[in-house]
Amino acid sequence: MSRLSLGLAAATAIGSIAAGIAFAGPERVKYPEKFRQDFVMFNTVDRPDLKAVRLVFINKAADAEAKAGQPLPEGSILIVEQRKAKLDDKGEPLRDAAGRLIPTDEIMTILAMEKRKGWGEAYPADKRNGDWEYNVFKPDRTPNVAVKMDGCFSCHLNRADRDFTFTYFKNRQDRGN
Amino acid sequence: MRVSILAAATAALAAAPACAAEHVVLMENIAYAPTELRAKVGDTIRFVNADGTNHAVFVATRGHGVDLGMQKPKAETVLTLGKEGRFEVECVNHPNMRLVVVVTK
Repeated sequence: MSRLSLGLAAATAIGSIAAGIAFAGPERVKYPEKFRQDFVMFNTVDRPDLKAVRLVFINKAADAEAKAGQPLPEGSILIVEQRKAKLDDKGEPLRDAAGRLIPTDEIMTILAMEKRKGWGEAYPADKRNGDWEYNVFKPDRTPNVAVKMDGCFSCHLNRADRDFTFTYFKNRQDRGN
Repeated sequence: MRVSILAAATAALAAAPACAAEHVVLMENIAYAPTELRAKVGDTIRFVNADGTNHAVFVATRGHGVDLGMQKPKAETVLTLGKEGRFEVECVNHPNMRLVVVVTK
């Protein structure tokens, strides 16, 4: 191999690494265009302190491939749709017969995490969440660029034994399949 | 008349809800105390953060999902048990902090 081709190969390799690092970030996670068709809701989490209900979804393809106790498959996308809870005339959340908050149709924010092979390589070990990346969207589905994702990484790092998820991995374990 | 008064009193007693109990759970030394709790529907659990660090009350168990937010040292939060079932409370910050709650009628 000539010096020129060696140089080109090295430059290409360096360029690829640099590109990977440069593109790491929330913009890699897009709002799923076919969210209503392609996702399934698997849990709800009441947030009485925020007067909100979090509806938690996973894309159907990942749900079909996932197995209890195993890391989620590549291509998994988890979405949390945070909706305002129904309130009484004093502004306090109403509850249903089981004591659960009642979600309205009003979306407050949308949280997303997506797993793609190699996405985590750009992050240092003390931050990396496997191959997960995060993004936050406004109710109109555009990215909320004011939100820093460091909080997502640090909080989800506490659930490394569940593939960095708070609900899905545990829910599959509880289900046993 | 005596019969009707007695009948009314009996009906009132029957309609009155059973007294709800409050259970206190300490968050201390990066653990919940106790780690298992049995309660009735309508009872409450008061979580008291006796540690010098933030804790949380988070339930991922399907059908019981709730997140009471970050709880600072000395702060208290209350969880009302609205339905039967078994669920696990965990601290968002400390993955080994677990409390199993079994709620019956």
